[in-house]
Amino acid sequence: MAASVAGSSEPGLSVGPTSEFSLFVHVKPGQGPSLRSALVDLQDTPGYRPGDYDMAVQTIHEARFVLFDDDTRLAFITSFDGPWDAYMEDFFSSGPTLTLFDVIFRYTEGYDGLPDVGALKAFILDAEQMAAAYARNYGGTVIEIRKAQRVNAAFQQVLDHPNAAELLKHPAMQALLDEAGD
Amino acid sequence: MSAATDPHLELDDIQAGALFERPSPYVGTYLMLRIANRADGRELVRRLHRIATTSRVSTGQGSTSITVGFTYHGLAALGVPQASLESFAPEFREGMAARAAVLGDVAASGPEHWEQPLGSSEVHVAIAVLCSDTDRLQAAAAQAREARRELPGVVVVWRQDCYQLATGRTSFGFKDGIGQPAVEGSGRPSTSPRERPLKAGEIVLGYPDETGELPPMPTPEVLGRNGTYVAFLKLHTKVAAYRRYLHDRATSRAEEDLLGAKMVGRWQSGAPLALAPERDDPELGGDAKRNNDFLFADDPRGFKCPLGAHARRANPRDSMDEVGSVDVRLHRMIRRGTSYGPALPEGMLEDDGADRGIVFVFAGAHLKRQFEFVKTQWLNDGIFIGAPLEKDPLVGPNDESSGFTIPQRPIRRRLQDLPPFVVTRGGDYFFAPGLRAMRWLAELGT
Repeated sequence: MAASVAGSSEPGLSVGPTSEFSLFVHVKPGQGPSLRSALVDLQDTPGYRPGDYDMAVQTIHEARFVLFDDDTRLAFITSFDGPWDAYMEDFFSSGPTLTLFDVIFRYTEGYDGLPDVGALKAFILDAEQMAAAYARNYGGTVIEIRKAQRVNAAFQQVLDHPNAAELLKHPAMQALLDEAGD
Repeated sequence: MSAATDPHLELDDIQAGALFERPSPYVGTYLMLRIANRADGRELVRRLHRIATTSRVSTGQGSTSITVGFTYHGLAALGVPQASLESFAPEFREGMAARAAVLGDVAASGPEHWEQPLGSSEVHVAIAVLCSDTDRLQAAAAQAREARRELPGVVVVWRQDCYQLATGRTSFGFKDGIGQPAVEGSGRPSTSPRERPLKAGEIVLGYPDETGELPPMPTPEVLGRNGTYVAFLKLHTKVAAYRRYLHDRATSRAEEDLLGAKMVGRWQSGAPLALAPERDDPELGGDAKRNNDFLFADDPRGFKCPLGAHARRANPRDSMDEVGSVDVRLHRMIRRGTSYGPALPEGMLEDDGADRGIVFVFAGAHLKRQFEFVKTQWLNDGIFIGAPLEKDPLVGPNDESSGFTIPQRPIRRRLQDLPPFVVTRGGDYFFAPGLRAMRWLAELGT
């Protein structure tokens, strides 16, 4: 794949509504420690603390930044609802996303920083590598999964009601009753 | 870069079709032509350049508006140099038929079923003639016939008459074309006080767009500047099937109207559900100062206007503001929809076999991130609203396997087994150049 050809974009492999997206870049010489420190800071930002579940981009399932080869290289790997290439221009037009991107990728080679969006786009297209294999263990978008979690929490609340068993006896409740035993 | 400065749009060079509303009501004709002889083709362009309506001219009552566009094959037929042809947007070069699978135009909407020669290399030039009355249209048609007689190397290969009723309503019965964005520098005010005018470069080439950049523009500059891309689609509407679908799922006419409004996002009068969630408000629908003055953020779950309603999909307004990966201003467009064919008589539930529908016309600087994005991501798909299995209930490529969720208390309603209500009969991508560019095309020496 001609990942080095600026201007071309690979949509990424997808499973159901979700597609994978990965960037691989080289860290600027001597900038490894600064980048590692920036990632520690990011990890302590509201929304990015473990358990916050509230990242700036609501359409990604998870994101990881991996420093490797003695902190000389960085991988950014995520899963995104929808074909990410369709939303490419939006990324560059969304303030918080761009700021977040900037504080990390300023330590990497080929990144000239804001506000040159054209150069930034070329940088990303150059760094993006399509996965050779991609699998997921659940379907559904972030929106659907959050809804499912809310519905399950509500269901558990209903089960805790003293009359729950009685209420779930109605034939229309059979599907819920099947899930009520454990 | 001059994003912060007044764009000073060259209105006397920009064709009127992209920037200005047409007179309403109107009658009109779309003509598709093939250039069989290059010299005749250039002579045609020379004449069209003289009569094409510019954005400087008022297009009110008593007027005739003529807009001209060229396909990739049309520009090639006129002798545009290869390097210049290759500088056009990839989607334009491919043509709409080649994009059909991506765009969801498959099965009955597939190019193999399109009206000939739409989507083929035989379509070179599109001319839209829209007049405020039939006398003017007949006069314009007579001129066109005269011009054709003198130019045997230009052949009319397709024609479609169209109209807009005084009510602005299309074949499904809904007032259409309300939520247009305003364009900076066009001199026309926004219909929504809640939406800043778009940067001119979102619609017209040669000016900065919403990203602050100049949109990719064909070369040489004289050809690209002040041009706009156009997507043209003839959409057959299955009005009887639509009415029957609602009829079968409602117990009263009022409930039918409500289901229809939930699918569209507006009542038939044009009144938006966001402002009139319970019942139609024809006064609101007809009030241009109010019928586009709303947002969706106060209704995140869609109890007033469903997230999947046609108008909310096509223009989510502030619905996506918190998502962090969507800038709705990059996906706005000028729509110039118009009707064709006789209306299905009021109350009729059986198909009368007549061909009726909408000629959908998009104008914008970015075929991919405007027209193709909205069609593929927001109309044909539901990932962005967390409903990957749902498509636009009115214009989506439904196949009786998908549904439509109407949020309501106490329990949401879900319409099932949605059939397709719209069938694509053909279309293509055009480039509507500026007037100077048309002169340049007419004077090509290759």
